Amino acid sequence: MALADLPDEWKEWVALTPAERFDESQRIFAQYLAMGGTLDPDPDPSCPFYDPREWNPDAAHGRAGLRVLRRGAG
Amino acid sequence: MGGQACVFYGAAQVSKDVDFVILADQANLATLRQALDLLNAERIAVPPFDADALNRGHAVHFRCRCPQASGLRIDVMSSLRGMPPFEILWSRRTVVRHHSGEDFDLLCVPDLVAAKKTQRSKDWPVIELLVDIHYEENKERPTPDFIRFWLLEARSPEQLAQLAARFPSEAADCSVRRPLLGVAVSGDLRRLRSELFEEMAIEQERDRLYWEPLKKELEGWRRLEAGA
Repeated sequence: MALADLPDEWKEWVALTPAERFDESQRIFAQYLAMGGTLDPDPDPSCPFYDPREWNPDAAHGRAGLRVLRRGAG
Repeated sequence: MGGQACVFYGAAQVSKDVDFVILADQANLATLRQALDLLNAERIAVPPFDADALNRGHAVHFRCRCPQASGLRIDVMSSLRGMPPFEILWSRRTVVRHHSGEDFDLLCVPDLVAAKKTQRSKDWPVIELLVDIHYEENKERPTPDFIRFWLLEARSPEQLAQLAARFPSEAADCSVRRPLLGVAVSGDLRRLRSELFEEMAIEQERDRLYWEPLKKELEGWRRLEAGA
C-alpha cells in the first residue's frame, strides 16, 4: 500500500497533524460503534495469539462486524 | 504501539483495540493493575498477567467492562521480537501533545516498523505506508538517520528505486545490510518486487520460529486453566 496509490481522501487524512488524526479517528470510531460495530478482533489465524476457542464470544454469525440486536424466538 | 500509534502516524484511520508496550517490573505492573481495575478490565485469555510471561515475549489480553469503555480490548507486551529493551524504546519514543493537554507516548516510527514485521500479512502494507508517510513528511530535510531508515525499510519498488537514485552513496553503504538495494540501484523494478517479497517471507518465517515455543507455552496455560 504505497502512499501514491491511495485515494485523495486518504491523502487528506495524511495531511492532518497527529493530534488531528487522533480526534478524527475518535469521531469515526464513535460512528462505527453507533452503527453496531463491535470491538471483537477480526479472526486472524496468522496471529500467534489467535485461538478459535477464545475468539469472538459476542459476535453474530462468526463475523466481528455484526452484533445481535434482537433474537427471535425459537 | 500497534494500531493506535499507526493512527497518529497516518497509516491507519481506526483501531479497535489499544496495545501497550510497558516496563514489566513489579512497581509498574502494580500501577498498571490499578489502572486496569479502574476500567474494570478482566484478563480474557492466557497467559497470566505477570512479569515473567511478559518478559518472555508474551502478550496479555484484557477486555474493559466499565461503561465508558465497555468491550474495549487492551493488549500489553513488554518484550518485542528482535527489538531492544523497554528502556531504549522509551528513550526514543515520540510524544504527541494533544490540545487537551494530554501527552501520548508512541513507539517512534522506526521502532513501530520493526514491531510490525510479523507473520501477519496485514501488517506489511502498513509498514510500507508508515515509511512512505515518514518520507513524505521529511523528504525536504533528510537527516542521515532518516535516509538510512528509508533505505533499509522502504517496501515499494518505485520508492526504493527513487531513494537509491537520490542517495547513491548511502544506498551503497546500506546494501551490505540490505542486498536488494543493489537491485534498486539498477532500477529493475520487476526483480526488486520479487526480492522484496522474498525479504518479507524470510522475516515472516523468523517471526513464526520465534513464536513456536511461545505458542506451546500458551497451549500449556490453556490446558491448565481449562483443568482448573
